[in-house]
Amino acid sequence: MRRAALLALLLALAAALSLTTGPRALGLSDFLTALTAYDPHDPAHVTLMAIRLPRLVAGLIAGSALGVAGTVMQTLTRNPLADPGILGINAGAAFALLLGAAVVGRSDQAAIALFAFPGAALASVAVFALGGGLRGDAGPVRLTLAGAALNALLLSMVTAMVLVRQESLDILRFWVAGSLTEAVYRPVAEMALLALAGAALALLIAPLIEALSMGADMARGLGTRPARVQAGGLVAVTLTTGAAVAIAGPIAFLGLMAPHLARPLAGASLRVQLGTSAALGALILTLADVAGRVILAPGEVRAGIMVALLGGPVFVWIARRLRPGAMA
Amino acid sequence: MTIPSPTRARVASARTRRQVLTGAGCALLAAPALLRADEALRFDGPWGETVLDRPARRVVSLGYTTQDPLLALGVVPLAVREWFGGRDHAAWPWAEERLGDAAPQVLTGEVSMELVADLAPDLIFGIGSGISRAEHELLSRIAPVLMQAPGQPAFGTPWQEDTRRIARATGQSDRAERLITEVEARFAAARARHPSWQGATAVAAWQNGGQTGAFMPGDSRAQFFAGLGFGLPPALQELAAVDGFYTTLSPEDLSPLDADLLVWISSFSGAEAIATLPMRRTLQAHLQGREVFADEVTAAALSFGSVLSLPFALDRLEAEITAALDGDPQTVVPSARAAGLLP
Repeated sequence: MRRAALLALLLALAAALSLTTGPRALGLSDFLTALTAYDPHDPAHVTLMAIRLPRLVAGLIAGSALGVAGTVMQTLTRNPLADPGILGINAGAAFALLLGAAVVGRSDQAAIALFAFPGAALASVAVFALGGGLRGDAGPVRLTLAGAALNALLLSMVTAMVLVRQESLDILRFWVAGSLTEAVYRPVAEMALLALAGAALALLIAPLIEALSMGADMARGLGTRPARVQAGGLVAVTLTTGAAVAIAGPIAFLGLMAPHLARPLAGASLRVQLGTSAALGALILTLADVAGRVILAPGEVRAGIMVALLGGPVFVWIARRLRPGAMA
Repeated sequence: MTIPSPTRARVASARTRRQVLTGAGCALLAAPALLRADEALRFDGPWGETVLDRPARRVVSLGYTTQDPLLALGVVPLAVREWFGGRDHAAWPWAEERLGDAAPQVLTGEVSMELVADLAPDLIFGIGSGISRAEHELLSRIAPVLMQAPGQPAFGTPWQEDTRRIARATGQSDRAERLITEVEARFAAARARHPSWQGATAVAAWQNGGQTGAFMPGDSRAQFFAGLGFGLPPALQELAAVDGFYTTLSPEDLSPLDADLLVWISSFSGAEAIATLPMRRTLQAHLQGREVFADEVTAAALSFGSVLSLPFALDRLEAEITAALDGDPQTVVPSARAAGLLP
């Protein structure tokens, strides 16, 4: 309980930082009048309501969605390295985006969300199927191999499209690392609903996933049907990852990092792990976004890059702690 | 300038061979159009000298925009390079009709050496192509390669210079001077027609993938407006330009864009990304109806910035700019209305 209160306090602090940090200095009166008498021609009001607030909301949603997705993925596959970036899901979104933009001939923000979501979803289904997940035996090695293979395949297709079409390069330049700056144009509300549905499903089936993680035979003995649980977990991962990608683009390492940081705080219960990981995901992404605004001001570093800068060392830390056959 | 040995060796051997041929009196018999050795066309380039025995006829255009000056000079290239847009034969409206029935091969992405060799060109234009030294080396075995003058950037050489260099290599120098004079006269006439534009400020702005920015003096899009007498607003001048071509702005502060004339250059993100940009609504240029939208074709004409595309862009933009800068916020700028940019 004390940990939950601490996390809530940290999140509130991060939110306050996110609303007050940026190249444009805002006074207290700006915050008050922006809420009571919003003026669309006042740069301070626009900064607050159309830039900083949407960024904060997008960071909270995408970050917590990735925290949930990473936890479900890692538990379900018993693979401590499972992550939407490593398993080719972000590459799937990028490829679908470029392909869709090439076919439809446009790349506005609606198109991005339109194509990125199914791209991420298809890639996650593909990696799960290739890794043997549909037969109920997605082992850690198999799934990682399948993910690495799919990632390589999709990225080379992305490269091919970029080489052939200048327009694709223009899109990819802004897609290659995720960011919260475009959030105001993206269907954040719709994606938030999808992420929420995914998170609710994950919480609902969390005990079944826990049973499954003791081994398929043990789970069957306890009355669980492994294939159904895995399918349910896959849907939860797809909804949360797809929503996060559609809002923020590819954010590597967050889905990997948040569950590992959450486990020591949360203990053994998967439901508590899910909640903690979601909170940490939201916290990290929000702080990364704030740091990106400050570090090279007045220019900005994309949140996806800031998360990766943090996630690289954490990845090494996780890899060093891994014991064969053990969850980190 | 030091020319590393492989290039120097090849250039030297070509020279020797030509001197031997000329010396033996074979030149005139072999090809009537052959220039005398002392009249040979010599071009300095970043990686050595290019020497042509005679003006080129069968040419490959590897520059992303060099098809324009070639077509303007009546030389239809065997192959052209695709920049963007996916137009047939990479020919935009301002160049289309000069193509006639010709159907140049379009080179997309990385240059295929095989395709170029297959066309058996007698000159390859590498000006504005961004080819690497290694590619230059390989292409030079197919035919002489003409690059930009030494010290010039790979992209963004002035259009007059490109046109002159290309004209000299194709034996069209007189025609090039006439064309350049014509285009410069058109801009001078536009400046004379609009004294109020002289010294006013203009910004060519872009919006792509959630990022807003402006084109800087090294870019053809900014140069177009400079050519009409506009300057950059001081707030923009202070910002550093990336490669001299453009600058990016913080989404929280777009005030450097707030010039007398604000021209939005269409990007692949489309007009909607500009129309829905909330911070744009805080700009005086927006509130007072001084915005112009350069649609896909106009934006491409500005981006090409060529002897053919510049007059085309002027035709399309002059009335728009006039409407934006008539001093009456109520006057509707047609392109801004079509793009949904009106206040």
